[in-house]
Amino acid sequence: MHRRTLLVVLLAAALLVPPAADAQKPIRVGMPMPLSGPPALFGEPATKGAMMFVEEINARGGVLGRKLELITRDSKADANEAVRQARELILKDNVDFLVGTLTSAEGPAVSVVAKENKIVFIAPIPKTDQLTAPDKLHPYVFRVASTTTIEGRSAAEIVAKWPVKRVATMSFDYAYGQDVTKAFVEHLKKIKPSVEIVDQQWPKLGEQDYNPFINAQMAKKPEAVFSSIWGGFFVTYSKQARAVGMFDALKYHFIGVGEAATPETAKSMGADYPVGIWGNSYDAFYWGETQAHRSYVARLSRYLKDEYPSSWAIQGYIGMQFLAEAIKKAESTDSDKVAKALLGLTVETPVGPLTIREKDHQANRGQLYGKTVMDPKYPFAIMKPVTYVDPTKFMD
Amino acid sequence: MFLFLIAAGLSLIFGVLRVLNFAHGTFYMLGAYATYQLVQWMGVSGGRFWLTALGGALVVAALGGLIERFLFRRLYGKDELYQLLFTYALALILSDAAKMLWGTQQKSVSRPPELTGALHVFGAIIPHYNLFIILLGPAIALAFWVVLQRTRVGRYIRAAALDRETLGALGVNVDALYTWVFVLASFLGGLGGALISPMRATTPGMDTEVIVEAFVVVVIGGLGSFWGTFLGALIYGQVLSFGILFFPRFSIFAVFALMAAVLIVRPWGLLGRPLR
Repeated sequence: MHRRTLLVVLLAAALLVPPAADAQKPIRVGMPMPLSGPPALFGEPATKGAMMFVEEINARGGVLGRKLELITRDSKADANEAVRQARELILKDNVDFLVGTLTSAEGPAVSVVAKENKIVFIAPIPKTDQLTAPDKLHPYVFRVASTTTIEGRSAAEIVAKWPVKRVATMSFDYAYGQDVTKAFVEHLKKIKPSVEIVDQQWPKLGEQDYNPFINAQMAKKPEAVFSSIWGGFFVTYSKQARAVGMFDALKYHFIGVGEAATPETAKSMGADYPVGIWGNSYDAFYWGETQAHRSYVARLSRYLKDEYPSSWAIQGYIGMQFLAEAIKKAESTDSDKVAKALLGLTVETPVGPLTIREKDHQANRGQLYGKTVMDPKYPFAIMKPVTYVDPTKFMD
Repeated sequence: MFLFLIAAGLSLIFGVLRVLNFAHGTFYMLGAYATYQLVQWMGVSGGRFWLTALGGALVVAALGGLIERFLFRRLYGKDELYQLLFTYALALILSDAAKMLWGTQQKSVSRPPELTGALHVFGAIIPHYNLFIILLGPAIALAFWVVLQRTRVGRYIRAAALDRETLGALGVNVDALYTWVFVLASFLGGLGGALISPMRATTPGMDTEVIVEAFVVVVIGGLGSFWGTFLGALIYGQVLSFGILFFPRFSIFAVFALMAAVLIVRPWGLLGRPLR
């Protein structure tokens, strides 16, 4: 009983202490991100990337003399849950900004919350074009992720250089799969009209048995295949495709977007990876193009205690970096001022300078592309040579 | 065919224990993870894949036995809602435990080197491993049928499915029998996961994907009916494949339409018996 009384007194005392001056209060950033279920595969490292950035900037004294504080919430990759968490972060945790969401369903849903509450929201991963489409755009939403248009067109630029005419596609039957495939097909037909799309397969999201789709597709004798089967699903798809000799039949004229060539995927498949195909990734620890990138990878490797750190951390990192730079530029944490500061803002990120366009609040975030090869330095396939495809020239 | 392995376990538990085991898909996932872990330790070469697959299935079977002995046993005869809630909770707990052990990153097991080749038939390529699974399904079905129809244990199991009290009164240890049935069903689920691991990625979430498919198979074939499950698995595969070939965008719809049709015409499934 005594102890409880003491606790109550202490609590009361703590409440009575006058709040510290405003400048000492941390700047709070809410991050709804899938931290459970299969999408946690990307949500977790992205959150870690953001946490590392916050730790680093706070060690240097924070922003405007105030520390950053990151509050993460599990959005469960569900639009309703993400909205609920975003509201709670704003109302209960009094966050000043939102950075987060992963799926193309969560992003636009949280964007509406940001609009209602007039709070800056930076989306680091959702790719759907709808997030920043003219009818959905509002002053507070920004994206540092790639888009389905950028990704589809980047792949089309690569496939156009192959000596192939008969092209087929394999994508999940939902927003991301449809949008990125459409962008790919339209751009490819525009830059290389001689190409013919001979087959399009649409397995359901999360399909486990691709054999019927692969058989039906190969019966149409394509010379090249574009796939947007992502994450762990790519592992399943490519294992089954490899077993029936699909990659050999295509002479490795295969490009997997949806980050099919991340070090994580290659690592988990080891010698089973269909070495020789083309793929993309947001980041690759072996890229090492610039001193800034090498330093980032070394820090991340230490932070995650992983020799081959995740390629997804970069998106959380860049999202927070844009926010911090915008606060500095605005010299304020007022969302209206920060939103204005974000327009046209260029930030030196670990993957090079990125700019958020004024027109649609979209960063010119391209991705790394390359043909995969086995490298004796690693026990898994890497992209080599790995090229950063700058999307600026083919963004609308 | 591997779907038959999983669905058979599900059907067996329902047929004998009268419990719809929602956690069955999780046993399948754990079978795949256990195999992955054993492969990490032992490798797949020199026939060791078979040891790891069997080991993975046995680990799951043992876990199933423990779960039946200490948790499941309290559920028999209770309201179906409790059973469903319990097995669903079990599925959530086990899949979270798997995530804590193996993380969210997908895992992958290589095909055993003995079966990496492929057979060319009429221009189509059938990997040896797929062929092996196709042959294994009927073999296991046959072995089960023999056990159920021709052995003493099989007679007990069939009797337990019909009338539990009478069997107990006749001096058979029904509790132990139930435990072994559950172990067997878990073994089948685990084996399904173990054998599929070379063809798929092992990831969190693979449990809920498979349980839906297994339920469809069992419902089409008839809950508790052994050959019904076999038939259900065959029909499911055929409808899906032909659906993809002719109506690519409606293949999933075709499967569920079939299930709905079966449910309307024969609510107890193609080879099932009406519930009393």
